[in-house]
Amino acid sequence: MTTPEAIIRVVNLRKSFGPLDVLCGITFDVREGSVFTIIGASGSGKSTLLRCLNYLEQPTSGEIYLDGKPIGFRIEADGRRVPDTAANINRMRAELGMVFQQFNLWPHLTAIENIIEAPLRVKRLARKEALDIGRHFLGKVNLFDKENEYPARLSGGQQQRVAIARAMAMQPKVMLFDEATSALDPELTGEVLEVMRALAKEGTTMLVVTHEMGFAREVSDRVMFLHNGQIEEDGSPESVFNAPRSERCRQFLSKVLH
Amino acid sequence: MWDSLRQSLDLTLFWEYRTILLRGLLQNIYIFFGGALLATALAFAIGAARLSKRGTVRVLSTGYAELFRNTPEYVFLIWVYYVLPIIFSRLLATKFNFSPYAAAVLALGVSYSGFLSETVRAGILAIPRTHIDAAMALGMSRWMIMRRIIAPQAIRRMLPEALNQYVSLFKATSLVSLIAVEDLMYQVSMITVHEMRPLPLYTGAALLYCGIIIAAAQCIQHLSDRWRQRGWA
Amino acid sequence: MLDNFNRLVLANLHTLGAGLSVTAYVCFFSFLLAVVLGAMACLVRLYVPFIRIVAIGYIEFCRATPIFVQLLWVNYVWPELFGFPKSVVGAGIIALALQSSGYLAETFRSGIEGLPKGQREAALAVGMTHFQIMRRIVMPQVLLVMAPSLVNQMTVVIKSSTLVSVIAIPDLMYEALKIVNAWFEPIEVLTSTALIYVVAIFLISMLAKRVSDRFRNKYGLAAQA
Repeated sequence: MTTPEAIIRVVNLRKSFGPLDVLCGITFDVREGSVFTIIGASGSGKSTLLRCLNYLEQPTSGEIYLDGKPIGFRIEADGRRVPDTAANINRMRAELGMVFQQFNLWPHLTAIENIIEAPLRVKRLARKEALDIGRHFLGKVNLFDKENEYPARLSGGQQQRVAIARAMAMQPKVMLFDEATSALDPELTGEVLEVMRALAKEGTTMLVVTHEMGFAREVSDRVMFLHNGQIEEDGSPESVFNAPRSERCRQFLSKVLH
Repeated sequence: MWDSLRQSLDLTLFWEYRTILLRGLLQNIYIFFGGALLATALAFAIGAARLSKRGTVRVLSTGYAELFRNTPEYVFLIWVYYVLPIIFSRLLATKFNFSPYAAAVLALGVSYSGFLSETVRAGILAIPRTHIDAAMALGMSRWMIMRRIIAPQAIRRMLPEALNQYVSLFKATSLVSLIAVEDLMYQVSMITVHEMRPLPLYTGAALLYCGIIIAAAQCIQHLSDRWRQRGWA
Repeated sequence: MLDNFNRLVLANLHTLGAGLSVTAYVCFFSFLLAVVLGAMACLVRLYVPFIRIVAIGYIEFCRATPIFVQLLWVNYVWPELFGFPKSVVGAGIIALALQSSGYLAETFRSGIEGLPKGQREAALAVGMTHFQIMRRIVMPQVLLVMAPSLVNQMTVVIKSSTLVSVIAIPDLMYEALKIVNAWFEPIEVLTSTALIYVVAIFLISMLAKRVSDRFRNKYGLAAQA
């Protein structure tokens, strides 16, 4: 099931919280440079799937590979599987950028400081270099003039855009978007979606969990519909939105799209 | 060091004198109840006064609360015991004297009424304006509103914090030995002078207070959790 | 009464001043020690599994024992038990520090646990290590949240410091009581002493609140009650 350009490979991923099975055997590939959108009802496991990818949640079983390298475990010389060290996991996390529903900007740091914090501490760049990179991405999200503002003074949409710049500043291989617009007032989602569209156009590999069906339809290369922890529908936007094969997917879409 | 450790944990000395020590503890408990009563009564008066419509009343009561929240309990205790009688004597032109007990109750009660008044005020303020509006819209009188709507809710909200204040008050009763009330610590120092073995006695006193307070705090925590579950506080 | 005031208070201003400086010295070092001990106890309780119960025991003991009892215990029992403190000033500082460290440990804990999970997750997501997250993300925010409690404990330390006069530390209260015992005229001296404490505590709280509000303003957060 692997193609040469599969930058993310998920094999039989399972995740349970106690007796509750949230993910029940997920397998898929993500091609480099593509936009992969995951849709589904609340509780279907979408966020959990994303959070397993950068190991914020530890999978109960299954494998995840980033650019061929396993996340969260190592294969020893004799073929055994052992849990990976914290340092390695952090290193992998630095290759995956995540944008959260609640933005999670650090309130005691300015916008630019939020953005350069990781390049400084994790990649150990020189301050000048980090600032250049940070300002570059801050400009890409159209907030160049808000560099020295604290998050509390920024609108929701502005905060989320800073959060995107913060993730981008680490120049990750893949960007993960966990319902990036769900916490925003309707008039503010537009500016964030625009940034996401621009990123997609540049060829960024993106995994997007979203309720924004318009975005999913227009920008994705592939759409996956999740229900009760299993993949019910998987294919191009046209096929999923116009001719879904799964009955549940049809029901979900009819409810969401009216 | 281990010898001293064994000695300090050798609480048999504590046990030997248990009657005297417990009688001392009883003094602490009496003073605690007296002080708590006084503090609560004053706290309600001051707390309500802080929410009064009249500006002077508000300022004066806030001043009272701030004054006693910022006054060291020990200093105030000494002041009440030594200075207040003299002031009263001069004002009333007669010889006036406080018994140590009365001074202790008065000092601790007034001192902690400052903290408690803040608790009372917060409890009353926490009641949503809408509840009062609804009662007024139904034609209830101000007194009725206070009695049936505000007071029950306010008291329930105040209770956890107030109980914590009472625990602090009980800890503060340990000071009264310094104005010659024959409480637990007083007895401990007397026995130490007599027996010349401070280790087990002071350790025992510390553990005794510790035990009482921890037990009380657990009860309060348990009750607070139960009340919160019922949606009271 | 006014010439009493002059005779007892103004004439002894330098002694009272010396007492006040001893009070300041004791309070400063006690509070510092309390912050260190409290932070350590809290971090051990939260993150070190084996001696967690020791930390909890320490915190409960410090909070449940009255300061006066702790003071006498540290002063009379510790030298024989542990060999230190060797001076009454040391005993005073340690006892005051013990008392506040318990409360501060609990305040640290509620601050750390009250921090939104997302703050840590955002830091994890960019690959920061546990220590980096603690130092750069968690602690600064916790300190900001804790500021009122820290100020409150400062005032508690100052109020409790009045007791160290009992073990013959020459603080403000000690000097005041000495004058009272010498002259048998308590009104002016004790009232003045009480007022000095009240004013000092009030000023420190005001100052600390001003500083804390300035920081909160800088970050764009609303002022605290």
